[in-house]
Amino acid sequence: MTTQIDVDFLPAEGAVVRLIGLVERRGYELDAMNYVPAPGTHRLSMVVRPRPGPRRIETLKAQIARLYGVTSVSEMSAVPRLEAAS
Amino acid sequence: MTAASPATLNSRTDARSGAQLVIDALEHEGVRRVFGYPGGAIMPVYDALTASSLKHILVRHEQAAALAADAWARVTGEPGVCLATSGPGATNLVTGLANAFMDCVPMVAITGQVASPLMGTDAFQEIDTFGITLPVVKHSWLVRDAADIPDIFAEAFRFARSGRPGPVLIDLPKDVTQANVTVPRALACRTAARAVFPLDAKALAAADRLIASARRPVLYFGGGIALGQAEGALRAFFQRSRIPAVATLKGLGALPTDWPGFLGMLGMHGTRAANTAVNDCDLLICVGARFDDRATGRLDSFAANARVIHIDGDAAEISKLRKADVALAGDVSAILSALSGETGEIEGWRRTCAENAERWAFRYDAPGSGVYAPALLKQISAAAGDSFIATCDVGQHQMWVAQHCRFSRPQAHLTSAGLGTMGYGLPAGIGAALAEPDATVVTISGDGSIMMNIQELATLRRYRIPLKIVLIDNAQLGMVRQWQELFYEENFSEVDLWDNPDFAELARAFGIEAFTLDRRADVPGAVERLLSTRGPVLCHVRIDPRENVWPLVPPGKSNSDMMEA
Repeated sequence: MTTQIDVDFLPAEGAVVRLIGLVERRGYELDAMNYVPAPGTHRLSMVVRPRPGPRRIETLKAQIARLYGVTSVSEMSAVPRLEAAS
Repeated sequence: MTAASPATLNSRTDARSGAQLVIDALEHEGVRRVFGYPGGAIMPVYDALTASSLKHILVRHEQAAALAADAWARVTGEPGVCLATSGPGATNLVTGLANAFMDCVPMVAITGQVASPLMGTDAFQEIDTFGITLPVVKHSWLVRDAADIPDIFAEAFRFARSGRPGPVLIDLPKDVTQANVTVPRALACRTAARAVFPLDAKALAAADRLIASARRPVLYFGGGIALGQAEGALRAFFQRSRIPAVATLKGLGALPTDWPGFLGMLGMHGTRAANTAVNDCDLLICVGARFDDRATGRLDSFAANARVIHIDGDAAEISKLRKADVALAGDVSAILSALSGETGEIEGWRRTCAENAERWAFRYDAPGSGVYAPALLKQISAAAGDSFIATCDVGQHQMWVAQHCRFSRPQAHLTSAGLGTMGYGLPAGIGAALAEPDATVVTISGDGSIMMNIQELATLRRYRIPLKIVLIDNAQLGMVRQWQELFYEENFSEVDLWDNPDFAELARAFGIEAFTLDRRADVPGAVERLLSTRGPVLCHVRIDPRENVWPLVPPGKSNSDMMEA
């Protein structure tokens, strides 16, 4: 089960590395991501997949939300996974 | 929302160096002490330090600077500050940062960095401090412009204290601290970080209903009580509800450990009474605790038949490992104060818990004439009274302290709970003794742990810090040996420390009074000498190397599967 998490944050040195690092340290695989710099807040969209263990996406969202400079975290569940035809 | 303290504006229009701005910012934040060790890239800051009001404690290893700052913060409630140079100075801080991160201790670490043009060139003592420390800090800043220093420091202190506290790091390239800049604006106001959250009336009412209908409730609290400065509210709730209570390792002291109804620590080395109460309860009121594996044992059997009310200052902890039936995130003190505490008929349950506590109380009548460490620790904490502060290392002695010492406040028990850092005790004792000079601060260490930061005996001597060290020596890595005995078929591997130095002689070589205790009959005199010595003192205690910590929940087992001696 994959989930897309959209994170809006204030641009700062290391912010993207900090976000990606947190997701991986908390036990999620990062399937895909999209980074959109914009005036004001930037947006990083990540498609994540939990590794085995007691992991809740709500907990991950709350952990992201307490990072410095994060202004919002939202979720789009059940992202369809594209499989290679071969 | 934050409640701001009265602002004391300090306008400066003159040119200041970046290093002077660092010192200005620390003074502005009310910092009194910094713990550190100088080196090349941080020299401009040390140069500016001499003209400041800050008192610097020169440790002998940067890890000790971070751990002493950690203890300072735990005792004072203010962020601890540590200072190190680039490269190895910064990497030596990392364990201390991780320790503070795991135990939610507010800390501001300041590191020197090579000059900006040299960054990325593998310059001498260059390391990516920002990158290395990312997983173990709440946030970090690499300062690119000296003019940003006042704002960054103000923000760093605010963020270290706010919400779930923790360490932050500020990396300062040498050219930034050497640069002269004019800062025309007022320095940022110092702000208090106590966030004000609205109470969730619906959840509070649901919690009140669960408490009123429970027949076997248990109050399970942890380090979040001290973090939220909620011990007053916890004690009031405990007294009006009369619900039996258990604590995590970090929660010890939030309720005085000798209060009736308090069943002791739960978990791997918890009391049988505490673990049995949790196992049998029908309602678990978790306050400022996080269902840590050392506390819960096998999670799926932990309070398996209980509903859960989870109260925490950090919303990310709610339902992280155990789903809460009622979730209350926010100001722990305010939430506890808002709960009615009205219970149903729980007298029979309270009686059962009390009888269990009495039946399974620790015994101190061990056979033999050697020193029995649990009894010694109990006597020391009783003799020291309410001024007692214990700083522990990690291992068997750490668990004996948690089981047998009396604590009357959360600041009385400083232990590396999350990271389990061997070497914490001695530098933490230094930080605690400086933070509360009138307290009786006792570092309880083991012969394995103390060697991790033994060099700090020099710091003790240098500042004549009146720290009492109780070094419990079994010439083993005792906890590892215990596990090898019990779970690895006595295949003892690399745990024998037969070649330890003579610790009393070693302490004396550092200029510290020391004596050895190895007979039970001499314990009263040793306790008296330890507590009455005015300066630093080390009591080297030889114990039976076969002593184990009991009870014990084997790894991966349920808390109901406790092993006894």
